[in-house]
Amino acid sequence: MRAVPSALPLTFFHRWGGPAARTGSLLLLLARPLAAQTAVVSGAVTDSAGAPIEYARVRAAGTNLRALTDGAGRFRLARVRAGQVVLHVDRVGYRRVVDTLAVASGESLFVNVTLAAAAFVAEPVVVTAAKRSQLVSQAITSVAVVSDTDLARRAVATVDEAVDKAPGVQFLNGQVNIRGSSGYVQGLGSRVLLLVDGVPANQGDRGGINWDLVPLQDVQRVEIVKGAGSSLYGSSAFGGVVNVLTRDIEPGVHASVRTRAGAFANPPHEVWRFRDYTGAEEGVDVTGSYGADALGASLTAGGWHSDGYREQDRRNHWQSAGKAEWRPDRATRVTASGSWASDQYETPLIWCTRGTCNDRGQTYQPFRIDTNGRGAFTRSDKGIVAATLERTTSARLAWQARGSWLRTHFIDYEPGNNDAGVANRLGAELRGLLHPSNNSLATVGAEGARSGVTSDIFGDHSQTEFAAYGESEQRLGGARLTAGARIDYIAVDGGGLSAVMSPRAGVVLPTGPDLVWRASAGRGFRAPSLAERFVSTVVQGLTVIPNPNLDPETAWSFELGNAARFSSTVRWDAALFWTEAYHLIEPRVETATSRIQFQNVTRARLAGLDLSVTVAPLAPRLTTALAYTFLYARELAHDSVPQRPLAFRPKHLLTLTADYQWRTLGVGGDFRYASRLERVELYESDPRVAEKVLDLRAGLAHGPLFLTCRLANALNYIYNQVPRTLAAVRTLSVTLTWTH
Amino acid sequence: MTTSLRGATAFALAAALGCNKGLEPTPVPTTCPQGFVGVCGTVTFQGTRPDSTEGVFIVAYPTFPQSRNDLLSFSPFPPPSSLPQPFTGSQFYMLPLPSGRYEWVVAVWKRVGTFAPNFSNADSLLREAGFYRDGADTTSHGSGIVTVADGGANGISFLIDFGNMHSISYYFPAPPAH
Repeated sequence: MRAVPSALPLTFFHRWGGPAARTGSLLLLLARPLAAQTAVVSGAVTDSAGAPIEYARVRAAGTNLRALTDGAGRFRLARVRAGQVVLHVDRVGYRRVVDTLAVASGESLFVNVTLAAAAFVAEPVVVTAAKRSQLVSQAITSVAVVSDTDLARRAVATVDEAVDKAPGVQFLNGQVNIRGSSGYVQGLGSRVLLLVDGVPANQGDRGGINWDLVPLQDVQRVEIVKGAGSSLYGSSAFGGVVNVLTRDIEPGVHASVRTRAGAFANPPHEVWRFRDYTGAEEGVDVTGSYGADALGASLTAGGWHSDGYREQDRRNHWQSAGKAEWRPDRATRVTASGSWASDQYETPLIWCTRGTCNDRGQTYQPFRIDTNGRGAFTRSDKGIVAATLERTTSARLAWQARGSWLRTHFIDYEPGNNDAGVANRLGAELRGLLHPSNNSLATVGAEGARSGVTSDIFGDHSQTEFAAYGESEQRLGGARLTAGARIDYIAVDGGGLSAVMSPRAGVVLPTGPDLVWRASAGRGFRAPSLAERFVSTVVQGLTVIPNPNLDPETAWSFELGNAARFSSTVRWDAALFWTEAYHLIEPRVETATSRIQFQNVTRARLAGLDLSVTVAPLAPRLTTALAYTFLYARELAHDSVPQRPLAFRPKHLLTLTADYQWRTLGVGGDFRYASRLERVELYESDPRVAEKVLDLRAGLAHGPLFLTCRLANALNYIYNQVPRTLAAVRTLSVTLTWTH
Repeated sequence: MTTSLRGATAFALAAALGCNKGLEPTPVPTTCPQGFVGVCGTVTFQGTRPDSTEGVFIVAYPTFPQSRNDLLSFSPFPPPSSLPQPFTGSQFYMLPLPSGRYEWVVAVWKRVGTFAPNFSNADSLLREAGFYRDGADTTSHGSGIVTVADGGANGISFLIDFGNMHSISYYFPAPPAH
């Protein structure tokens, strides 16, 4: 470069200080003071073959000087301040070039720039972290995105199977944990909020999540926001938010049919065999859609059956979903959507221990059930409908209004005892996005919800929530400062209102073209579910009594994160997180009265590191990724309980992913390691091991057909995540999708 | 080694970690297994199991209960599953317990039924069916001191006699009704 040799591809330059320039200098006499301090940098941008590149962006760092190349690949930057100039040249599809020039006053430099082709990886746009669209690098908290490509490549059957592999996320027997938030309470009182297209979808009675509510065929992507999100989303966003976003309706007529068949491995030891045939699963989904300029609609229906991998584990599932869009003008969109799913599944309950089944001389039989639970099964129906009106009234204001209805219905058939319940959750929200200036944004809104339950074990109760929220983002130079809060008022059975305030503040600070720091602090909370307040039943001879006076759980959550791109192939995202949790709701056994009651007893601390590294490609056609979470989770000392590990939280969580693509054939795999749980509740002395699961997959595209083969738990590693509940064994499944 | 080979090797190594065995078949032991903390022994059944039997549970008391109020101070809580049926012959048992000294390891027979609040119907549902007694025991109610010290205490064997069970009132007469 210039007089100094450079290895960078600014291949050469010319000094334009010759006679012509000197003649012109007389005409610029009046401008001499300025010209004496500035210079002109011009040049040409070409690709590796020497062809000119149009629309390449050239800018001098730290200034407002920028230019686009013309059809001949030429550019010109005038009034470049003399001295050292850092020149950035980039273009979509090419690797960026950065170089430093030394420019003398009045000088004219001509540089040739060669850009090497590079794969273009668009930065994801997310809509959940701030309740509006933003680049993922602009979010103040960590966000993981599972795309439809990930879903198709992994050939999973349900949303939770794909989300399970996201960094910092783990499912424990169906209960989602983000950085160890929920632990395991048999699906009760999730500390993660599920959204379906932004609509809260946690159950109205138990506060849990039905992951099969939306057919996988309809899912476009899943966003996972980590850390407290109550400043925008209120209750349940204690440890994070998962937003399942359904597909947009494409123009024209589209259809797809997805069929799936699979088989479960038999127990690896003869003494564990429990049936004389191989368990199978099979299913089919059909989707059709039509989209025009103003109208569009889609419909999905399907079902599947599974024999299960253990005794009394059969399941039938039926589902349907629809979506309609109307765009009366360019600024307005009306969307109506709904989905419904019905399951009938046998309930394996807990595995058999010595003497509770044909134990064949074993202390436990992980594939067999306790004979006391024989015949138990559940019927579960759930549905959600939602309607949204979105309007952009000007460049400064957009707003949306939505209403939703979530209904869940279950019947547990158990020997000698049936339980049933119906829960409804009605919700409404009005939200505005204000853009008062080019440097500021504000999201404001109001939300209301009413949950009600009628059940033999939860009684007949209701909970009403009102909330108002606001969050503003201000740009200061390259930094983005965010601050906001939400106040929630909660009333149970029409009683007095209790209020919870959830503030949040954060900053995003780019310190280089490929380096972004972020920091945030926010408060999360979870209102007790109606089930936790009012459950009244008998479990294993112990009476479970209600506690209507439960208070909300609260937490302060802090995060310091860093996202960087070390080259065009290596990206990383790391975050240190720290959560101080108060009044966690846990079931407590009162020994004096032999009763169980949910109480606000636990004070906890969850801290750790969340790291994800993506190398794409590591080698031609090979992409790899690593996700690791270190979690320090402690229940702090209280009453007579000393400090101890928080139950059901693994200290280490590692996911390795690799995919190799050759033409239309792709092969890949995921390896998941979760360290042995330090502490569990109930059956503490039972054997438990670390989780080490390898999933393999292959996919082949041919015209409208896409064939995938998946071997989940390829090594048939036998393990359990929660006491006396066997995790899935090796499962081979083949999926064929036809798309029109 | 090319970059792709290195990547494949790293992945294969990671996969190999998964080859480590998970849960394995575990035959019923005859002594406390290594790493187990608690007491182990053999119980021998005598007499005919009552038709109304829900289960037989073994628990341990750090000190012999002095009153009805102490009856719930046993370990572990909640109690483990019932001993496996059939209740005939002899069978090996393991009772996980925190390290410490226990004065009474006892088998409790439970009739089919649900406890009322505050255990007000415990007299009708529970019976002492047998307990461990060591050779030096001279107490009237029977006692066997067992020390669990970060491991398994073997040989805590005793008889469960369905024909000689005792109600709570046998040890602690019910307070007179007002």
